Formats: sequence, structure tokens, C-alpha cells
Amino acid sequence: MSKPMIEACGIDKTFTLRRDGRLVEHRALKTVSADLHEGEILGIVGESGSGKTTLSRIMIGIDTASKGEILFHGDRVATRREWRDLRRHVQYVFQDPFTALCPTMRIGKALAEPLAIHGIGSREERPARVARMLEMVGLHPDMAGRLPSQLSGGQRQRVNLARALMSEPKVLICDEIVSGLDVSVQAQVLALLLDLQKRLGLSLIFISHDLRVIRYLCDRVLVMYLGEIVEQGRTDEVFAAPKHDYTRRLLAAIPDRDRPAHHSPIDEALK
Amino acid sequence: MTAMRQALLDVAELSVAFPGRNGPIRAVDGVSFRLEPGESLVIAGESGSGKSMLCRALMNIQPGAASVTATRMDWQGRALGALSPRDWRALRGGQMAMIFQDPAAALNPLLSVGRQIMDVVNAHRACSRAQARSRAIEVLGLAGLPEPEARLASYPSQLSGGMRQRVAIALALAAAPKLIIADEATTNLDVSIQAQIVALLKRLQRELGLGLIFVTHDLDLAAEVGGRLMVMYAGQPVETGPVQTVLKDPCHPYTRGLLRSAPTLHSSRETPLQPIPGQTPKPGAVGAGAPFRSRCPVSVEGVCDVRRAPWSEAGPGHRVACNRFALDGRGGLP
Repeated sequence: MSKPMIEACGIDKTFTLRRDGRLVEHRALKTVSADLHEGEILGIVGESGSGKTTLSRIMIGIDTASKGEILFHGDRVATRREWRDLRRHVQYVFQDPFTALCPTMRIGKALAEPLAIHGIGSREERPARVARMLEMVGLHPDMAGRLPSQLSGGQRQRVNLARALMSEPKVLICDEIVSGLDVSVQAQVLALLLDLQKRLGLSLIFISHDLRVIRYLCDRVLVMYLGEIVEQGRTDEVFAAPKHDYTRRLLAAIPDRDRPAHHSPIDEALK
Repeated sequence: MTAMRQALLDVAELSVAFPGRNGPIRAVDGVSFRLEPGESLVIAGESGSGKSMLCRALMNIQPGAASVTATRMDWQGRALGALSPRDWRALRGGQMAMIFQDPAAALNPLLSVGRQIMDVVNAHRACSRAQARSRAIEVLGLAGLPEPEARLASYPSQLSGGMRQRVAIALALAAAPKLIIADEATTNLDVSIQAQIVALLKRLQRELGLGLIFVTHDLDLAAEVGGRLMVMYAGQPVETGPVQTVLKDPCHPYTRGLLRSAPTLHSSRETPLQPIPGQTPKPGAVGAGAPFRSRCPVSVEGVCDVRRAPWSEAGPGHRVACNRFALDGRGGLP
């Protein structure tokens, strides 16, 4: 197996919440370790509150871990400079295509921004890079002059992908990026993602609550429950023979048109 | 054939139109169905298909600018068009109730759960405070809320999303309705909670003989709900029939495309999903022709852009509105 691109080692995260006027500690991640290998698509699946988003945010330094460390190419990431370097190579695509883009910034400017931040290329060549990237994600280069409000949900999610790819990252973290899209558009974005992954040799972390999308897309899957990884393995193996009780319950709850009617969890629950 | 019972709802050629610059824009166009007590109708479609607007028109809670027309719209044999606002208030919430997608928005954050349910009970039947309270406890129990009596004093913000949706279901059940309309009622919930809520709705339907209209974008979920399925696209119904029949033998290019683009528990990259190219037409852009023609791989030139497809029989109780199917049958489908 190739060496890990990025590793999370023994990550703990505790949030302090105010509940009924008192401060309570909530342990969102309980000593979680995970790694992503070169060229692979890793799925993280779990229900709300399982910690999947928190873990991915810690992996690129949007949140800080209470305990544990992140390794990038085997080296510990600690200083601001190291985090900044990591973020050029590890990019994040957010769930909500409506709030992820600044409503008053034209698409072209939004896409050129990562180039300016990371000092990539000269000012003159940026419009051409933006146009190339728009074509790569299946949009017309004229889109550069548009505002986010003039785009559909699917188009915005393509723009978000394009923006994340501007700094030529090696790793892309996609947090529920198809959850808000219609099924027919979702399939378009998934096809685009697979195509980009192959063409650019990306490694992907794909976070989703939808096991059907995870099954389709991912080589390997981590199942998270209440801040812990309860099961992990090759996607086909985990889906064919889930070992943890929670994974089994999760799989049983997925609606499935091919399941014989009397095997439905819904009918089980009715008995 | 069993003798036809009186339908809860009997609707023919229902349309909802909004005034537009170039004539009316039809958000819902030509929907017909019959729903008997204890039956379920699943309405499936993507955003812009008109499924939510249809539900609102059935409850007479469509936006003010909308005009609803139908050749028939009967509730238990009574024409809904003739009802006064007062009659509507008694019917809505009393006889037919709706569960919305977002329970947080459907519940009043400033009133306790018990108070909200008791308000509904009091609005629809003359009863004492104590009776309303015991009814509230009863429906919270029916909706599967643990410790219903203790929950009366809770506020919506103190409950989880799944619990809130159970309260919204209790609220819908409060006045013992005959029909429940669930509009994407499980979409925002975790899958395990979704399975519980769907099981609950099916149990209530069976035990109380309720009619159920279940709106979803998820065809796999439609299969779990069962009953009849109506697939909608850009405001128009395109295929209807028993859920299992339609999913096993889809006869409209859109239904086929939708099924091929949705991953299942068994799909993998070896058999790539086949996205439907393009996007849903903007409201009002459909015009006179078949609604799916701009994305359809087998649209009939000179036909699909000028006329809507007639309904064809595809099997017992299974009908499809597709010009290609009308011409070539299943052999012409992609």
C-alpha cells in the first residue's frame, strides 16, 4: 500500500456548550485515527452528530484538535506556515453551495482568489487559468462574469469544486457536496468528481450521510457513530458483511427499491 | 373488482397557475387521482416538479397569487370549490392534515408542545381542558414519543429533529383526520429516524384507516411506502401506477432516467450512474409540448415540441404520458 497522504492520529475534540445555563463538555471526537492514501477515495459516513464533519475540519485546520495531531506526508503539521502549506494541497468543498460563495463576488474573482492567496502564477495569466478550470468542471468560461445568484444549485457546486481545484491540490475533502442536489444533477456532479479524480490524480475524502452514494463512489469507508469510528474497511466488504451492529442498523434503514417487501426494516418495525 | 368505495379525495385535471408576463405559468398542470381510505399515494419528483404546490392546493393553502382550477375536486363526494372559508377551516387540520419538511418551522417556538396540540384539539371539537390534554397525550403516544405526558411542557427547541417531527405528526393527528399529507416529511432526518417515521406513518395508516399522500424525491423511499406512485416532472404527471410496478417496469423516459441516475445499495463504479443531461426547465418554459423533451433521448421530432403526450396504458393500473411510448411502445424507450 502507498504511504498515507494525510493522517489524523488520536484526535480528540471537546466542545464546551451552554445547556440550561450551565457549561457542559461535549466530546465530539473520542481518540479518532484515520488516514488517506494516495489516489484513493475514502468515504466517511455517519448520522448527524457523529463527528464526521468535525474530523474533516480538524484535518485542514479550520478547527483545532483538543488532543492528537495531523501528519501530512508523514510530517507533523504544527506551525501556521505548515498549516498554510497544507491548505494549498488539501482543499475543502463545503456542503451548502449557496452559502459557500460570496453573493457579491463574481465567479471569476472567486476562482482567482486562491491563486492570489497562495501566490500562484502571475496576475496576467489568472483569467486564462480561471477559464480553463471552468471548462474542466463543465461550465462555459463566460460564467466568470456571473454572480452566484444567477446560477443553479448544480452549477454552484461545480463552481465550488472549481475554486477548490484552483490551487492544484492533491487532496480534496468533500463535505456532503451532493446532499442538496436533485438526483439527476447529483449523478452529474458525481460523474464529474470521478472524472476529475482520475484526470488530476486526486485523493478524496467524501463525507456523506447517504450510504448509497458512499457505496457507489468510495474505495474505503469509515463508519462513525457518536465521535468514534466503529467500523472501517473496503467499501464492498463493509457493505457485503458489516461487522458492527451500528453499521448493520444503518444499512437496514436505507430505503431500497430492490429489497423484497417483507425484508423492509419498515415492515420489521411494524411487526 | 371490488365495489368502489367513496373516495376521500377525487381530483381531475387539477392545475395551479401563477400570472406571468407571457400568460399564466402552470406550476401544476393536469393532475388527476383518486384516493380511498387506507390507501397511499406517493408523489415523486425533483425540485420544480410541482409536488409541493399540488399539496398546498389540496389543502387550499397555496400562495395568494395562485389560481387553482380543476374539472373535479371532491372531498368525500363534496365539491371543494364550493366551500366557504369557514368550511375550509374545519376541514383543514380537522379532516385533512399536513406534515411539512421542516418541523422547526411548522412548530411555534414560543408555545409548549402540549399547548400547541391542545389548541388544535380545541379548534376542531368542543371539549374540556382536561379532555384536550388527554387527547394531546394520546396523540403524542401514537406518534411514538416516549413519556408523552412529560413532553407536554417541552418547547420545540428542547427536542431533537426526529422528536420534533414526531410532535408535528402528533399535531397532524390531533383532530383525528382522515387524510395525512406528508410533504418531504423525512427528508431532513437521519436515515434511521426516517425509517422509524415512515414505519410510524404506515402503522397509523393501517390502524386508523388513514389516507396518506407521501411526497418524496427518493424513489427507493417510495418503494418502502408502497401504494400508488405518481411521478411528476415540471408540474405534469408523467407516469402513474402501483409503486412496485412502476419501479420494475418504468415506461417514461424521465422515470427511467431518474432510476438510472440514483445510486442504490448495490451500485458501484463498474456500472456507472447515467445522469440525465441538462436541468429542469424554468417554470413557464415548458409551453405546449412534452415537459421532458429538452432532456429526453427519444423525443419525437415535430410531436413532443407541439403537443403533450396522451395517456397510454402500460399495464393494469399503470399509465404513462409519453409520445414515444404512444408511438412505439416499450421498444422505443431508452
